[in-house]
Amino acid sequence: MDTSGIKSALSSITVDALLSALLLVVAASLLIFLIQKLVPVIADRLSGKPRLYLLASVPLLRLLIIILTIILVVPMLVEPSFENMVAVFGAVGLALGFAFKDYATSLVAGIVTLYEMPYRPGDWIEVNGHYGEVRSIGTRTVDMVTLDDSVVVIPHGVLWNSLMANGNDGTDNLMCVAEVFIDPNHDVDRMLNLFRNAIFTSPLTRTYQPVRVTVSAQKAGMQYRLKAYPIEPREQVPFVSDLTARAVAICREEGVPLIALPWQNS
Amino acid sequence: MTEQAESKHPCLAGGLIHPDQWQLPETSVRKTLRAGIRDILLQLKADFSMADQAYQSLDDLPSLSSARLQRYAPLPDFAPLGSALLSALDELRQSGAHTRKACFLVSQPFSGLPEALETLDLRVISPPANLLMADADIAAWWDEQLMTDDWVIPELADFWLRHRSGLGLIRELMARLAVDQAGNGVVGCSSWCWQFWCQYLPDLYVAPWMPAPLTGECLVDWFGQLAMPDTGQGLTARMTNDGRFVLPAPSESRESRKHSLFPKDLATLARGNPGVALAVWRRALRAKPEESESGDVDAPDATEHCWVAPLDRLSLPKVPPSTTVSTGHVLHSLLLHNGLDLERLAQVTGLPEQELQITLGRLQRADVIAFSRDSHRYRVQPLGYPDVRRYLQARGYPVDRF
Repeated sequence: MDTSGIKSALSSITVDALLSALLLVVAASLLIFLIQKLVPVIADRLSGKPRLYLLASVPLLRLLIIILTIILVVPMLVEPSFENMVAVFGAVGLALGFAFKDYATSLVAGIVTLYEMPYRPGDWIEVNGHYGEVRSIGTRTVDMVTLDDSVVVIPHGVLWNSLMANGNDGTDNLMCVAEVFIDPNHDVDRMLNLFRNAIFTSPLTRTYQPVRVTVSAQKAGMQYRLKAYPIEPREQVPFVSDLTARAVAICREEGVPLIALPWQNS
Repeated sequence: MTEQAESKHPCLAGGLIHPDQWQLPETSVRKTLRAGIRDILLQLKADFSMADQAYQSLDDLPSLSSARLQRYAPLPDFAPLGSALLSALDELRQSGAHTRKACFLVSQPFSGLPEALETLDLRVISPPANLLMADADIAAWWDEQLMTDDWVIPELADFWLRHRSGLGLIRELMARLAVDQAGNGVVGCSSWCWQFWCQYLPDLYVAPWMPAPLTGECLVDWFGQLAMPDTGQGLTARMTNDGRFVLPAPSESRESRKHSLFPKDLATLARGNPGVALAVWRRALRAKPEESESGDVDAPDATEHCWVAPLDRLSLPKVPPSTTVSTGHVLHSLLLHNGLDLERLAQVTGLPEQELQITLGRLQRADVIAFSRDSHRYRVQPLGYPDVRRYLQARGYPVDRF
């Protein structure tokens, strides 16, 4: 590394320029902090698509602010000639490569995330067995809130070599599945119809989205899966609970016994 | 009234159309954006204004007394609409567009179609007291109801409950209508109920028809006919903000007059729905500031005048903000079923009656719904309907497309 290049590039830095740059960076950080805190709060008051769009705007706004800050700060500190830029960015790249390899990987993955959009704020994703809603996408990590209200922080770098499932993929359509296991001795067609009615009569069902009931014979008994979309992804837990309760009530009315502890038998 | 005159009822100016042909009356992009932003702002205010949101006038002009309101914008007589509907159906039959014995008419809430169908000289089929009838009894019940021809079901939404045991009656009727084995009759069906059943029975085809949406011009004609039909002189209504004319309708002899875009905007706000448009029209009418209320009961002049408040100066009922799903469930259920009593509301929403009473109380105070002592039902109010529909759509509920 030619240290004379960096020296000459940094030789023009004055205390005033350094202070101005610092002030700008602090202002940009503050702005990013405010956006990351306030926008999700505002978005939570909305529902449907406006909420998703607002949440998705957070990482984009942050990227814009970072780019704008770099564009403004660099000319303050060094003369923006080609040689100076190569020297400064080369040095920064080397430092990141050796000292903060994993950190840099997550940073790059974070930038890739912004245009590949494997997940956006408001998406319901599953990564390494953790399922929850993406609340914010940071520079290095993505914050996910699980159904039990725990925050899981996932470095973007994990996504290079992990499988990720996205339940709604930027939309507000999230299919939910309620499962029941019942004794095999019953009229399957009748149960399929009754379970379909149960889905259509749930006030939480988005009836304009597909509604499906499937059945399969398992070792434990007959497994019915009630698949439908809730009115909002946030209602998935009450929705699955409601469908399950309705299915159980139907089994009770029809005199079809439910199978206890099906997972031990299957 | 002759058949030709009947078919020209202003609420049927566009005739009967297939539901797929229905289109929202046009509006400008600016107004659509403004309405969208206003809706988002209202949601943002949700946690800050939990107080009641009853109607408050946003202008200083006095409202019309009930006597003048009744003279200028009376509630319509539905019998002529009923006759016009029959004439329109006859025309469709004669032209070969409708070949089935039973006619299926879809209508927006508050359109007046059920009331119009009730006035027809046909046997009205009323819903049974028990809507959770066992499957075995349903076929026999319909056999009995449909055994003689020339029947009418004014509102099909009264025949079901969104409950796992409450779908049988309509499912059976739809099956008979699909194969045209229900005899000669007319079925009226609310667009919300229709939307549910189209999704529940995706292959259903019963050759439905519906009144075309009312445009601004149709509304002007209708309001003009409603106002003082006996004098034949009509009402002059001008905007309070710019003095432009709303009534009488533009004509060649009055070319120099500038006419307001109020009717067009009203048609868009009401989504071409006559009941909603009339309710908003009644809310918008104003008296002259100098007129005393004591003069209201005087005999009508040859031509009478009143003022019309602009739509953005009207405070229409808004759904009170809520962070729970109970408000949405209640409103959606009321629209699906054309109104419900407390017991049935609890059955279809699955909410406890105490929670329902709290929600119903809030909605009543906000003038979004009202309780009818005659039918013992809670119903969405026409003035609150535009906001209710927006509210439900924003929260992902299945809404009608009309």
